[in-house]
Amino acid sequence: MAKEIIAMLLAGGQGSRLYALTQNLAKPAVPFGGKYRIIDFPLSNCVNSGIDTVGVLTQYQPLVLNEYIGNGQPWDLDRVHGGVHVLPPYQQAAGSDWYKGTANAIYQNISFIERYNPKYVIILSGDQICKQDYSDFLRFHKEKNAEFSVAVMEVPWDEASRFGLMVADEDDKITEFQEKPAHPKSNLASMGIYIFNWDILKKYLEEDEADPQSENDFGNNIIPNLLRDECRMYAYHFSGYWKDVGTISSLWEANMEVLDPEHSGINLFDDNWKIYSRNSGMTGHKISAGAVVENSMITDGCRIQGTVKHSVLYSGVKVEDGAVVEDAVVMGGCVIKSGAVVRHCIIAENAVIGENAIVGAIPTETEKGVATIGPGVSVGEGAKVGPNAMVRENVKGGEEVC
Amino acid sequence: MLASSTSALGIIFPNSYDALVPELSNVRLMASIPFASRYRMIDFILSSMVNCGISNVTVLVRNNYSSLMDHLGSGREWDLTRKNGGLHIIPPYAEKQNKLFTGHVEALANVLEFLRHQNEKYVFLSDANIAVNFDFNAMLKAHIENDADVTAAYIAEELPSSALKHTANDRGLYYTFALTGTRISKIYINPRDTGIQNFSMNIYCIERKKLIDMINTAFVRGQVYFERDVLAPNLESLNVQGFKYEGYAARISDMRSYFDENMKLLDDENLDALFDPNPIYTKIRDDNPTRYIPGSEVSNVMVADGCVIEGHVENSILFRGVKVAKGAIVRNCILMQDTVIEEGAIVDYTITDKKVVISAGKEMKGADTFPLYIAKGHRV
Repeated sequence: MAKEIIAMLLAGGQGSRLYALTQNLAKPAVPFGGKYRIIDFPLSNCVNSGIDTVGVLTQYQPLVLNEYIGNGQPWDLDRVHGGVHVLPPYQQAAGSDWYKGTANAIYQNISFIERYNPKYVIILSGDQICKQDYSDFLRFHKEKNAEFSVAVMEVPWDEASRFGLMVADEDDKITEFQEKPAHPKSNLASMGIYIFNWDILKKYLEEDEADPQSENDFGNNIIPNLLRDECRMYAYHFSGYWKDVGTISSLWEANMEVLDPEHSGINLFDDNWKIYSRNSGMTGHKISAGAVVENSMITDGCRIQGTVKHSVLYSGVKVEDGAVVEDAVVMGGCVIKSGAVVRHCIIAENAVIGENAIVGAIPTETEKGVATIGPGVSVGEGAKVGPNAMVRENVKGGEEVC
Repeated sequence: MLASSTSALGIIFPNSYDALVPELSNVRLMASIPFASRYRMIDFILSSMVNCGISNVTVLVRNNYSSLMDHLGSGREWDLTRKNGGLHIIPPYAEKQNKLFTGHVEALANVLEFLRHQNEKYVFLSDANIAVNFDFNAMLKAHIENDADVTAAYIAEELPSSALKHTANDRGLYYTFALTGTRISKIYINPRDTGIQNFSMNIYCIERKKLIDMINTAFVRGQVYFERDVLAPNLESLNVQGFKYEGYAARISDMRSYFDENMKLLDDENLDALFDPNPIYTKIRDDNPTRYIPGSEVSNVMVADGCVIEGHVENSILFRGVKVAKGAIVRNCILMQDTVIEEGAIVDYTITDKKVVISAGKEMKGADTFPLYIAKGHRV
């Protein structure tokens, strides 16, 4: 049974700029928005767009991701024919290789794709927060009779040189590609989301693999080769919310934007485009008498006795009496003990902030950092963690970390 | 599943005591009454069974069961989508000889053929009117140690006021036990005694083959109720043992107790007692986290996911997807799934069923002793 389209989701990213958060976790598995992980977005987009076959390419620290995806049931991707498949690098008769680049990762799984004999393959990135209807992208691809299409976003001209840029004519046909150019000729940034006709993709993957000089990367190798051969390449304009949460500050910011769907454009409350996730299975959250909760998102299993303002709390967070949580992202299972003050920070899963400890600070002219506490870290009683600190190891009581 | 010497299967009677809460069971049955912000009554006994390794569970539905079927689905959330065993929902008339039953004898007589073909050595029978994190293994251990024919779980507590008020026949039978040691020497049917009683939980443990024999005999004799007709007259010949349950239990015996038992969970100690150590599973709805919009005020509440709170909420239980608009005041309420409280409305001591809308500016006030109830889907 042939599939019209299948998705290949690149989820091997290390997310090295998220540092403390990705020591034992691939970036797509990083928690986001109260009860999600980043990978829930592309997976949910697939299902909501009618794509029922997804290969997830993992490489870096895949344990959590593998367990999280499981059989794909939370995303309705446990299917008889198709469904979600985790695809780590594997050993072959001719030897084994890590995935050398994005293109090589797909190349090594050509046999997976061929099992479904698809007409189109969509390449997705597992580390972006974006709600996108891929079926509309496919419609565009078909209408243009394209061989390759790429989703692009208009970015401010002064930031354009940070991106891979597509130069396109009035019919959206791509004429040139510039990777992080000093002098941008376009402000259409590639989102790293591509639709290929499968025969074209296969041909170029094989050619790329045969080239020992190649970095085996879509942006650096495959797209320039397609241009060289004057393939039918089109740019699909996307104007919704899109965020590559590659840094601590962008991850923090994206979480805060969830609190303001009316202005930020990231609306998790849309019944027509649900984001699915694996459920924590905890009871409803509790807010005690005397607690203060303002402008926040709170999910199952939380117990709030203290003050929570403008923050996102993930499942099972405890905020004890007299503790203050403000402008903070507090991930699953954390405990903020009595009298502790956490502000403008990201606290990763299962961390414990001791009594009267201080983490982070509201930004000033000179100090704008987002303090970060790694998963499972214990910050001792009365300790102080400065706004630029990135803490991976336990902080003793009374100690100061800048 | 391999039949081990201690394996057991579960049978749940989801319709028992429907008549105690006619308002809530108008559109559903006891087992699917929403409880504790995101659960249904059956989740507790079903999860307890699963957590105790019982992976073959039959639900004998009688009537009004579409909400329960929808809730349970294939049983996946309880890990009961299994090749061997798993969840079976058996409605009346499922087979040619099945009849609409009145008591448990008839209900079980309908599934004797099914029971004959199972491998498990023991059977647990249970209703679904008590929210409890029950240890079936401890009960089975006691059953085996006492060499019992039947073991019946009970709680030492006072009878609920509703039991003392109503006549037996229109509200269902309930039982208390007199004990000699741990053995049950007498079963009282619909007693009116005040003070602490050994109040039956209607959870029974029995060997499968014995149960089949008992039901066969009783059914041929035209008997209806398991406790009244099978156990009570035969306490001398049968070794019927009591198993005292001392953990947390929330029993629904009327609207008032439904209200009180929900509210009791606002106390963390009670909540922990009901939900620890074993998790309670329920149907997943994939709601987003609950959003507290600037201007909201909340105090002493339990809230499920998917809610949007802009107004004032205190001493209340909110189920999934509830909206409380700006300027609305909610006090001492149970708001079931997708209830909407519009701007400026005031609700106090009120239970709103699913999808109720209290329109802008309206005032609804029940009393501490008599919470107001608004039926499913109504717009006030």
